[in-house]
This record gives sequence, C-alpha cells and structure tokens, in this order.
Amino acid sequence: MKIRPFLYTLLFLVLVVVLSIAIGSVFIPPADLGRILVGWMKREALSEPLKTFAFILTDIRLPRTVLVLLSGAALGGSGAAYQGLFRNPLADPYLIGVASGAGLGAVLAMSLKWPYSFWGLMAVPAMAFISALLTVFLVYALARVGRTVPTTNLILAGVAFSSFASALTAWMMLHSTGELHRAIAWLIGGASQAGWGPVLTVLPYLALGLGVLVLSGHALNLLQFGDEQAQQMGLPVTRARALILLAASLTTAAAVAFSGIIGFIGLIVPHVMRLWFGADYRRLLPLSIIGGAGALLLADVFARSVMAPQELPVGIVTAIVGAPFFLWVLRRAKNQGYW
Amino acid sequence: MSGKIIFLLLIAVLLAACSPAGTSTLAVAVTEPSASTSEGATPITLIDDLGRTVVLAVPAQRVVSLAPANTEILFAVGAGAQMVGRDETSDFPAAALALPTIGGYSGFSLESIVALHPDLVLAQGGGFNSPELVASLEELGLTVFSLPNPTTLEGMFNNLETVAALTGHVNDVPTLLASLRARVSAVDEKIMPLSYAPTVYYELDATEPSKPYTAGPGTFVDLLISRAGGVNIGSALEGQWAQISLEQLVVANPAMIILGDAAYGETPEKVSQRPGWGTLTAIQTGQVFPIDDNLVSRPGPRLVDGLEALARLLHPGVFK
Repeated sequence: MKIRPFLYTLLFLVLVVVLSIAIGSVFIPPADLGRILVGWMKREALSEPLKTFAFILTDIRLPRTVLVLLSGAALGGSGAAYQGLFRNPLADPYLIGVASGAGLGAVLAMSLKWPYSFWGLMAVPAMAFISALLTVFLVYALARVGRTVPTTNLILAGVAFSSFASALTAWMMLHSTGELHRAIAWLIGGASQAGWGPVLTVLPYLALGLGVLVLSGHALNLLQFGDEQAQQMGLPVTRARALILLAASLTTAAAVAFSGIIGFIGLIVPHVMRLWFGADYRRLLPLSIIGGAGALLLADVFARSVMAPQELPVGIVTAIVGAPFFLWVLRRAKNQGYW
Repeated sequence: MSGKIIFLLLIAVLLAACSPAGTSTLAVAVTEPSASTSEGATPITLIDDLGRTVVLAVPAQRVVSLAPANTEILFAVGAGAQMVGRDETSDFPAAALALPTIGGYSGFSLESIVALHPDLVLAQGGGFNSPELVASLEELGLTVFSLPNPTTLEGMFNNLETVAALTGHVNDVPTLLASLRARVSAVDEKIMPLSYAPTVYYELDATEPSKPYTAGPGTFVDLLISRAGGVNIGSALEGQWAQISLEQLVVANPAMIILGDAAYGETPEKVSQRPGWGTLTAIQTGQVFPIDDNLVSRPGPRLVDGLEALARLLHPGVFK
C-alpha cells in the first residue's frame, strides 16, 4: 500500500495542530512560546505573563484542539463509510437521521430545567447522543423488508424521519422563551464546552467506532460491486452493513453530542481524499479520518480568529470556506468520472 | 496493510495525548493587591441564578461582564471603574466602550477572559449566558456569578443590590434605589387617577410586515406598558417573542404603535406605507412613535427611563 498519501495528510494534520495551538484571540508571541517550553523542560516555575499564557495553552487551547480533532476525525471517517455503504456521492454522516435525532434530543434537553451539577450539564450531550442512536435504530427498523434492509429504503426512511424530527425541533424552538440562542448555536455547530471532560467522555466511543471503520475497508470495497456480487464473494452483506452503519453512527453521535451539528466535513473530506488518493476504502477510511481531523481543526482556527474575540460557530466556517475549496478541487480533478 | 499499522499508531498517539497526565494544571493564581481596604471583612456569600453558592473573600476588583444589562448595573452601582472587560453588546454607558471585549453573541473567547485575570465574571442567567459557559469558566478556576434574569422591577432592584454587594458598594446602593423607586412612584401616582388606557402595539421586528413580532406576556415591555397606563395587545398572545398577524392587528386596532425596531431603520413613515397598514387608526391619527428598545428590554436600571419614556408617549397630557 502506498505510504505517500498518509505522509501528506499527517503532515497537514501536524501543521494545523501547531497552528491551532499557536493562534487564538490572545496573542502569544512565538518567543514566549519558546520560553514556556524551556521553562517546562527545566521544570521551572513560570512568571507572569508566561504563566497565564501557559495556562491558556494547556487548559483552553489544547483540550479544545483535541476535541475538535476527534470530532473532525469522527465526521470524516463516518462520512467515508456512509458514502461507501450507500454507494451514493451525496451521503454524509447525517443521511439517516443522526443529526436530526441529536438535534431533537439536544433541544428537548435545553427546554427542560436541569440542576447545575455534573449530570445536569451532561443532560444536553447525553440526550443528543441517545436520541441520535435511537433515531438510527428506528430508521433501520422502518427500512427493513423481511430479512434484508435495502439501501434505498434506508435513505428514504432516514430522510422522512429526519424531516419529522427537524419539524419537531423547530416547533420546540418557536415555543421556547430564553433558550433559542443556545439551541441555534448547537444546531449550527457552535457549541463548545471547555476542559478535558468532553474529550474523555467521547474518546471510548470514537476509539471503538473508528477502530471498526478502519478495519471495514475491505468489506466496503466488496460492497462497491453491489450486494449480490459482494455476497457471492463471501461477504455477509446485511450483517457487515449493519455493523459498519452502527460504528459510523456511534462515532457521529458521540462527536455531535458535545460539538453540535457541524455540517459539510463528513461530505467533502471523503470526496477530496477520493479525488486525490483514489477510491480504495482500505486507504480512504484512515485518510478521511486524518483529513477530517485536520480540516475541522483548520475551520475551528478560522472560527475563533476571524472576528476575535468573537467566535463564529464552526459549522458556518466549514461550509463557507469548505464549499469553494471543494468546488476548486472538483474542477481541477483529472479523473472526473471518479465516483 | 501498512495503512492499518499507521492508523493504529495514530490512535495510540491520540490516546497518549488525551490522557489526563497531559493536563498539567497551572492554575492562575489571581493575587489581589487591593485587599488592603477590607481588613477583617467577612466573606461575601451569595447564591446565584443556577443555585450555586458563590463566595468572595473581598469585594471583586476586576470584573468581566458577559451581558449589556450587567454592564449597566455595574456602572449604576458605582463599580464601573472595577470592570476590566465586557461583552461585545455592552454599549452603555459610553465609558464601557473603552473596555476590551471578550466576545459576544455568537461566542465568547475563554482565553480573552482568562487573560484579563478577573476575580469575578458576571454572567446573566435565564437563557442569556448558557450553563455550559458558566461551567467552562468555573473549570478554568474563575469565580462566576450568574445574575438572575428578572421579570419584575423589584427583581431588577434586587440585582442592583446583589451586584453592589459583590463589588463592595453596599453603602451607595440605598440612595440609588430610593431615587429609582421615587421615579417609579411618581409615574404610578400620575397614572393612577387616569380612566383612559390606550391600547399599544409594540413592534420588535417587522422583517415580514404581514407577520411582525411583538412583545408577549412576561416581558418587561409588557410590564412597563401597563405600568405606564397602557394595554399591550401582545399580552394576549403566547410566548415572549410573539408573532402577530396583520389580521389580528386590524381587529385589535391599537391606539398607538411603538417601534422597538427603530434601531433597525423602521420609521413611522415606512410603517404607514406598508401594504394594508393604512386602515389602522394609529396610522391615520399619526400615533406611531420610535423608542430606544434597550430602555425597555435590557433588565437594568434604565428600565425606569423606559417606563418614563413610555408614560410620556402614552399620556402626553399628564407628563409634560
């Protein structure tokens, strides 16, 4: 397997991580950054303003960077899996209702009064996560015909249920009094909670889900030949598809729970990777995971520096910057019939 | 299969990067050199809007305000000089504009707040600043007080007392409150004997002129209109930001139209030119007036200014 695509995407990721640590609404001079590193290595106590800068780095920028990185990885990876699973270039991780289900759960949680406690604060992400997974199970059950689950049924059931859930969400938002702004921010991917708590909470789900996805490259390759062919080649189609769907949905639901609904990353990152590095899913999945992490992190750097100290919801940036970039890649692609 | 191996390595790196060991918590020690004025003072202990018990050893000397009403309250109680940061929408009084901003409506910058070394971050509850934001700031070791979003003038007065207590201006606040209460009573006294209460349509947004938004029950606009001797036609609707149709408006036929959206360029002339609006009595009699919406919607001391402004509009004969 070619190693170069991995080197390129990893290099991109590392560059963006450096950018994300270095850039913020508080300007930390590069020289001070160096002094902080030296101070850490020598285990010396830092003096002001280095102490504050170091605190901003370790307790604000680093956890945020890691959370965004994980969310981007989840969206990129599950986007690639969904596209392979449905053999549809329009598929993204929200196709069969993860986003609308999560949105319904989150807005419902916001409309209720919770005590200010660990569990009270967990109500929104927990309900978003649970409601997203319930939606996927429901859509899967609705799309079932006998012992098979045709992809067309799955897409249609997903789209129909999504419209239903979105309508309920909109209705709840219209009838809310004070929580409207919070709900909108969540729905356009502007939610953010600081600290390592969210990172540690989503990590197990993402590790499990992404692990399954990375190992399912071969199965996805076979699925590209069509269900019957894949079955003849020895792939238990229904079971493989269910497993991949579950892994991708679990990953997306966990990512969405804390970050809100970030659009476009899960759609374009797999396409860009496919245009640049080919359609072999064994490679495409890990590349989309790394690429998704880098792309979302870059969007987040934009989101918090363009209007600093104001912050834009990152979901707006992914589409505003991502769409033109994707069109440019699409126009330049040599293998136009790549899908 | 080198791809898989690389990926597993990457996962391992990610896992290592995320372990809590990486959280070398360098808590910001906010050493306050200003404690000299309050020797032997008992700590200030108050319960905020989220039910959190907030303790300040000494009155706050470096305050960041996260809401425009909070900024106005801080200045009103005499703590303006103790402010070190404000949100983007805090535009009153003019002195506040000189303070650095730490973000605003679309999102707050945690690192800008931390860099100001506040010893108190004053948030606004009731859905204005989210509990997630309060939790994030608390996690960074900052002292946060979430001020309740009041629904009555008394509630707003309580907020003035709370902020005065947090910032060490308890002694100044009775004078302020007495003068505010006196102004409210002065309006009450003039309104009381009146038998005429004009109906009022208060416009919040008319981007779609056939379905504009008005202030519903439970808002300060609603409360102040009735206190100023009027009847808010929006109080019969549901929700605080209530949508009203032109048909309902024609049926209610308010005696007066007050443009809370004047800041967004709505003028009495524009309103009279809206299709279908010409049948309204208020338009035919020229009873359409702009108002500074901040006076009647921000839960700060200027609500009393708003009450007086409304009373002058509604009963010009009595308030001259």
